Amino acid sequence: MNNLIEFFKRAFHIIVLAVLLILSLVMLGKSLSFNEYRISRAVQGVVGPIQKGAAGMVHKLRLGPENEALVQQNIELMREHENMFIEKEDTVMTAMSTPDSTNRSQVRLYDYTYAHVIFRTVDRAFNYMIVDKGARDGISRDMAVLSPSGVAGVVTDVSQNFATVRPILHPESRISAVVTPANQNGTVIWEGNDPGVAYLEAIPQHSEINIGDSVFTNGYSNIFPKGLLIGTVKEVQVGNNASFLTIKIKLATRYTDIYTVYLVENLFKSELDTLKANFKDE
Amino acid sequence: MNNVIANILRFFVLLLVQVAICQHISLFGYMTPALFLLALYLLPLEMPLSLQYVIGFATGFVTDAFAHTLGVSSFACTLLMFLRPYIVRMLNGANNVKFENIDRPVPGVKDFRWVFLYTLTLTSIYEVVAVLLETMTFKNFGHTLLVIVGNTLFSVFVILCIEYIFHSRVKNEP
Repeated sequence: MNNLIEFFKRAFHIIVLAVLLILSLVMLGKSLSFNEYRISRAVQGVVGPIQKGAAGMVHKLRLGPENEALVQQNIELMREHENMFIEKEDTVMTAMSTPDSTNRSQVRLYDYTYAHVIFRTVDRAFNYMIVDKGARDGISRDMAVLSPSGVAGVVTDVSQNFATVRPILHPESRISAVVTPANQNGTVIWEGNDPGVAYLEAIPQHSEINIGDSVFTNGYSNIFPKGLLIGTVKEVQVGNNASFLTIKIKLATRYTDIYTVYLVENLFKSELDTLKANFKDE
Repeated sequence: MNNVIANILRFFVLLLVQVAICQHISLFGYMTPALFLLALYLLPLEMPLSLQYVIGFATGFVTDAFAHTLGVSSFACTLLMFLRPYIVRMLNGANNVKFENIDRPVPGVKDFRWVFLYTLTLTSIYEVVAVLLETMTFKNFGHTLLVIVGNTLFSVFVILCIEYIFHSRVKNEP
């Protein structure tokens, strides 16, 4: 008997070792067979919350690249929107073609790219922004600038690697707009010093404008595609001196925390500009 | 007593770093450092063997739980704790001394060559066992081998860096 106890004392660590190794292998075997979840689920109950916290920490570090990917994806989707195209109809009708579909084609009118705002002012009388892309990246004058929430401004100057953007918050900024559902066209201007508020001009007195109505671009300028949100009506005043309403609008773009912006290029800009210039000359 | 607290603290910190950071690293797509092994390497050699095995198992179990590889690391770590005394005896070579207080596997007590070989041997054993258990196949063995070698080198590098950063001022005292 004494011998047996002595043996156990000496071999105790070997027994522990064997038990632990076998336990490991049993766990391994269980986790390999797909219908045995119990252990891993019990473990997951404890580990899960900790792991979630850690993953959250790591995720924060990875937000940058992920954001870039989402912006890229956004552009892909925005490029397919109908306001990017104009419909063309072939003038030559052949006997074979049916009138409805085959002789129609979509021509891309606008294209998107994106940039990041690296500098901006909001509290001056003449505000401006600078974005981190320039002529080298295909940015040119008069490209439209959109924030994720709405219209932001127009590119006014381009250097090799950077571009200056004139936001709506500038006295010279004029954006032709349409207010829905009244469907009246006007111009969005900015005066004063509130980075959240602009005015909608040239809306006739008789139109029915309600607070909360949306103001969109109407696509007349050849800079902005049709149907982009500029803001919502905040206040309507019936002026006594003019035949137009004074409409205050709340801008959709929050200039105070703008970072990623989308730039829209009109692919037929020069062609359209030539036409306009010719018209003026006559 | 002080030593015990230091060891426990080291386990906590290294395991936390392992599951929060190291496990999410995959350099070149496959190299993941096993930094937590350092906590096992620095355990006093004179500890009761069965306690060492249990600690090894528990450490492996925690990392397994976070990596969803139940059993893999537990097995490898337990095996590691079993082999550790033999590796130390082998490395001590001619001046083979009984494990006393002075025989601690830490820089300062041992020279760099000793510590490097000690870390390299144990880490390779761990990686061979763990990676083979995890893949459970000899298919595509070239890649498995690449993972083993890559993991080992990366782990040894990280472990030695951490070890020498934090132990550079350990005095050579019993």
